[in-house]
Amino acid sequence: MMRLVIATEAILFISLMITYVYFDLSVGFTKQSINYLDIKSTGIFSVLLFSSSFTLVQAEKNYSEGKIKKLKIWLFATIVLGSVFLFGQAKEYFKLLNNHFNISLDVFSTNFFTLTGFHAFHVIIGLILLIIVFILTLAGDFDRPNSTALSSIGMYWHFVDIVWILVFTLVYVLPYLLK
Amino acid sequence: MFKPVMDISIFNPQSESGWRLYHLDIYFIIASSFILLLVIGLLIYIALKFRAKPNDAEPKQIKNNKLIEALMIGIPFIMVSFFFYLTIKTMKETEPITHNETPTVEINGRQWWWQVSYPGTSVVTANEIHLPANKKVLLKLTASDVIHDWWVPSFGPKMDMIPGLVNYLWLKIDKPGIYEGACSEFCGKQHSKMRIRVIAQTQENYQKWLTENAKTANIAIDSSLIKGAAIFQKASCAGCHQIRGTMANGNVGPDLTHLASRQTILSGTVKNTTENLYRFIDNPNKIKPGVNMPRFFLQQDSLKALVTYLHSLK
Amino acid sequence: METVNVPEPEESLPSTSISNDQGLLQWISTVDHKQIGILYLLMSVLFLLLGGVAALLIRVQLSVPNNNFLSPEMYNQLFTMHGTTMVFLVMTPAILGFSVYFVPLMIGANDLAFPRMNAFSLWIGLFGGMLLYFSFLAGGAPDAGWFNYAPLNQRAYSQSSGIDYYCIGLLLVGIGTVGTSINLIVTIIYYRAKGMSLRKLPVFVWMILINSFLIVAAFPPLNAALSMLLLDRQLQTHFFNNTSGGSPIVWQHLFWSFGHPEVYILILPSFGILSEVFQVYSRKPIFGYSFIVGSGIAIALLAFGVWVHHMFAVGLGLTVYSYFAASSMLIGVPTGVKVFNWLGTMWGGSLRFTTSMLFAMAFLVEFTIGGLSGVAFAIVPIDWQLTDSYFVVAHLHYVFVGGSLFGLMAGLFYWYPKMSGKMISEKLGKWFFWLFVIGFNMTFFIQHILGIKGMPRRVYTYPDLPGYTWMNMLSTIGGFLMSLSFLLLFYILHKSYKIGKPAGNDPWDAYTLEWTVSSPPKIRNFTELPPIYSYRAFRDLKENAKNNKHGK
Repeated sequence: MMRLVIATEAILFISLMITYVYFDLSVGFTKQSINYLDIKSTGIFSVLLFSSSFTLVQAEKNYSEGKIKKLKIWLFATIVLGSVFLFGQAKEYFKLLNNHFNISLDVFSTNFFTLTGFHAFHVIIGLILLIIVFILTLAGDFDRPNSTALSSIGMYWHFVDIVWILVFTLVYVLPYLLK
Repeated sequence: MFKPVMDISIFNPQSESGWRLYHLDIYFIIASSFILLLVIGLLIYIALKFRAKPNDAEPKQIKNNKLIEALMIGIPFIMVSFFFYLTIKTMKETEPITHNETPTVEINGRQWWWQVSYPGTSVVTANEIHLPANKKVLLKLTASDVIHDWWVPSFGPKMDMIPGLVNYLWLKIDKPGIYEGACSEFCGKQHSKMRIRVIAQTQENYQKWLTENAKTANIAIDSSLIKGAAIFQKASCAGCHQIRGTMANGNVGPDLTHLASRQTILSGTVKNTTENLYRFIDNPNKIKPGVNMPRFFLQQDSLKALVTYLHSLK
Repeated sequence: METVNVPEPEESLPSTSISNDQGLLQWISTVDHKQIGILYLLMSVLFLLLGGVAALLIRVQLSVPNNNFLSPEMYNQLFTMHGTTMVFLVMTPAILGFSVYFVPLMIGANDLAFPRMNAFSLWIGLFGGMLLYFSFLAGGAPDAGWFNYAPLNQRAYSQSSGIDYYCIGLLLVGIGTVGTSINLIVTIIYYRAKGMSLRKLPVFVWMILINSFLIVAAFPPLNAALSMLLLDRQLQTHFFNNTSGGSPIVWQHLFWSFGHPEVYILILPSFGILSEVFQVYSRKPIFGYSFIVGSGIAIALLAFGVWVHHMFAVGLGLTVYSYFAASSMLIGVPTGVKVFNWLGTMWGGSLRFTTSMLFAMAFLVEFTIGGLSGVAFAIVPIDWQLTDSYFVVAHLHYVFVGGSLFGLMAGLFYWYPKMSGKMISEKLGKWFFWLFVIGFNMTFFIQHILGIKGMPRRVYTYPDLPGYTWMNMLSTIGGFLMSLSFLLLFYILHKSYKIGKPAGNDPWDAYTLEWTVSSPPKIRNFTELPPIYSYRAFRDLKENAKNNKHGK
């Protein structure tokens, strides 16, 4: 089931990214992307998000081996990394908004906020799911390795990460390389 | 209401493209009638022949037949390929690529009327489109607000008019006459009343019309007209409408320089008479709901003077 | 994976009444797939009434030229709501209703894989529909057509909040539809009876499986487009507004890359129903099982490569058009050839002309008309003449009504005894059939001619041109016949439920597993399942029993 959810979500992001590319080709986003966006700080936060995928893998591994204590630690690390990424996104948004770069400014801002906003929204959903699992773990509901909840959420979380790799490449890295 | 001068139908082709598409239509009708009759025929035959009879044994359980299935795919595939070939051929003939040729006429779709201008001349008019017959002309099709669509069934293809984009269409009308069509993309409240009238003329008459319409409007000297002309400027008509040769140079509503020379008003929906014009200006929304022109609540005599003036703009 | 172990009470299903110990509450809180299926069908009926009233008002307005019965504002809201309602809130729930009711029964499962998600999907879809209709009270319904083209859908051209409700309503409906589809896929993949390999799946289940994948893949572009439109309208973004750099064409691409698969989403389940109906009433197996299934898959794949044939008049260039003309003609082949598969199924059979079978046979003709006029739109130059004219209106009604709805009607008359436990009145059913077929053809066939004579679609009125008046009047009369026939249908359904003969488990001597259980089925569908030898599992069982009795 989670695979199907991811499939339908993936097509949603593909639609959004194709729209981004369409406008990029017809209007040209390169200059604005370099002018407005801070590739370095977002890059650092992105690395944190990517590493959260590895911590979650560790969590799943320990869970399947029945090491519940380690599971808790790795799960917590994942949640922290995800939250820090969101914090980074929020910081970037605030900075942009303070520079009067808002969603209704032009075609680039429209596409930028929609694409990254949709991604951030999915990170939030992922975090909520992880936090629920974490609380359940603390409550002792995940003492034995027979639930598929964690691996399902894991699949979703990796998907959100992969989407970010694509979005980050499209919005931040490519204009930088092609300038 | 007036009757259209030509029967409106895709089976009454009146242009070069119209004829090309007409032939394709006929081929398609023959092929599709064949398939439809085949299905109906088979169905009736089967229904009569294989109707259940009392004490029928269970029929033979045939699951498939490779040959029949191959034919079932093969024959339609061949038919479809044939039509694909015709499609490509007709498409290429009907819409050859443009190479920066100057269009004969530029038609701009607006909610809910057509602005018509002739590049290379100063002629700007509305709704009634004069074109030379028996000559290949290029139409430039644009839109200012929402998507509209150019469609005169007798001329063959339609073409969308999309804000921000420019489309072109080639047209060679067979003979002089008045041809009707309509906006064919839903464009809001008055989509229904966005009719198209094309007046095809001989080359000679067309040139005459162009020269006539390139002139500025007659200056109102007659005392019966001066009052109306003044009202036109004062009552903010001039803010939206243009009358070339006067101060009025608005570009929101139709150009009225030669209003009286048109046969119809309101995008070809009513005859151009003083009564119709009077009723419209008196309360535009009543005649054409949703129209962008506001109601001005003019006195009766002012209104009359205004209509008299407008109808002098030959 | 023989049975699903959802804890369930072992009592009989309270049928279609609310007169059981828990009453209405039991229906609202149900997670049983059969009850949810019936609720879906009831939802479909509710919106059918609303969409039908809109259609009638439209036909009254168009019955005479230059009519002032409806204002253009009202007319535009009505035709928008009519289209949106019929596609998203009538056809889709009807299909989902039959799917969630019969898929588990046909594969030998006791429920869907996620019963609670099933209930959630139903209610969120209903809520979305309600929200869409709430727009009437909130200043005005959406008024830019069911495909809602930009920039007419922007705030500058549609000031009322109708289109905002359209966005949110359809997003919710979409979530429900995708949710149910995911549920159906998982159910079909993991909960089949032991021995029921994919090659032994009944055709209806196959079509639902393909269809569900189609839904999962087709809705996201719509959701993306709706979200963008909502942002455009609420936060003044610039996706579709050309004056600030946006592009109205992007809306068309996104909408139709959903919209065209949607057409197949609405027709594939009917293909499935018809395949079952033709088999049972011809007493023969389907002609070319693998072909039917294979072409279903081919259609699903091709469906994503044909959307531009809705945009042939946009001016995208001949190269693009050539590609999409080819793909659109290609998809016509597997779709059209199925008609001959069904004729082949009937050939040499022993035909029983029940109302259900009559609908299936009429489908063959109506759908051929709709399919052929559809191929006309793949032929680009013909599309250039007729797109956005009344010819399209005729075409799409021949596909949606003559195709999808005829199929669903065949399904309704076929499965009614199973769902209600009562036989449906065949005599009245045939009255309904003829009234409906005549009304339908009278309404829509003439619209082909209107399109050819240059009448654009979506006009609130038309000038008194030669032929327009009588043709439109005829169409209106046909529309009233159709509504009359629907009233008769509701009467038949009601009456048969009250005084119909008890149906028994297997009134049609049918072939698939849903007929092995009682009518209506118990809450727990199956306690034991027969071994599965083919896609006609129940027939195999009956044949074996017969052979054993003859001491073979």
